Amino acid sequence: MNEIQYLKSAMAAIAAVAVLGLAGCSTTAGVEATARTAWDDQGARTLEKNVVFNSGSLKGDIQIVDIKSAMVGDIMKAQATLRSKDRDTLPFQYRFDWFDAGGFEINSGAGAWKPLLLTGRETKTIQAVAPDPRAKEFKLKIREPD
Amino acid sequence: MKNGIGKLLMMVAVAALFISGCASTIQYGDAGSSKPVSKEFGSSDLQQIAEAMVDSMITFPPMVELTSGRRPVVSVDNVKNKSMQHIDTESITDSIRAKLIRSGKFRFIDRTTDAQAVEELKTQNDSGLVDKNKAVAFGQQFGAEFLLTSNFSEIRQKAGNTTDVYYKFTMSLKNLKTGILEWSDEKEIRKVFTRGTFGG
Repeated sequence: MNEIQYLKSAMAAIAAVAVLGLAGCSTTAGVEATARTAWDDQGARTLEKNVVFNSGSLKGDIQIVDIKSAMVGDIMKAQATLRSKDRDTLPFQYRFDWFDAGGFEINSGAGAWKPLLLTGRETKTIQAVAPDPRAKEFKLKIREPD
Repeated sequence: MKNGIGKLLMMVAVAALFISGCASTIQYGDAGSSKPVSKEFGSSDLQQIAEAMVDSMITFPPMVELTSGRRPVVSVDNVKNKSMQHIDTESITDSIRAKLIRSGKFRFIDRTTDAQAVEELKTQNDSGLVDKNKAVAFGQQFGAEFLLTSNFSEIRQKAGNTTDVYYKFTMSLKNLKTGILEWSDEKEIRKVFTRGTFGG
């Protein structure tokens, strides 16, 4: 073996380590599911839903099966059913943000991410309760752990 | 040959310097981050407990009924910390109290600031500085109808390189008149720490 071969293998090793290091830290916005309270022609309460996937890898891992909400007294309660598409146990984080009838966030930025563990192909429901009676709309965010 | 290995080691050392960076850094983090830093009780654990307790309490059907027409007055008891850690448990109950107040369902009495309140009332009533009609008289405060009590416990198991820590926070709302527990719930958190082969 000569020096050049050593040099080449060392360079390759360094490049591989650097690539690994860069790939390790990729927290994205993940999944955002918005649900807004609305009323139909008969005056019954309905929920307008919208799900956006901002991450390709998350789209392959998780599916939002259902989003629903109900009123407990005058407080809005939300539930989302998630299904893992993967065969392995995967960790996620989620949080609910709440908005009033005018679309203003309640206690802006105060929510905390919660850990969520989904075993392979598991279906799990997550729930949250609005911070106060003003809430009429919520946004569920799911992301990979930071 | 020897020369080659020396050069390789040198390059790896230089590369390591570049990858790890030599300077310390400081930056703002997300206050709501749920990234576990250690197996000890952390900020995310506190937030999870506070949120779980408040969500459970304000949606419990008898509580919904109780708070539908009025805002009951509650006092918060100190947390009985039975864990092996020194935790600012008042911080947990403070978070829970703040969330409950903001929900608009409950009102609270804070006994920790009574000394200052007495001092202020004394000044108002006895110093001669304050108009008698505008001074707040003694003996008009509300008594709490309910007492919020809580327990915090920890079970720690260690086997080989793995440490498993289980936290349990139990909270109850006691009716001070009847002694009945009107609501109770618990939040469990499990953390598993595995020591790496090369980790410190």
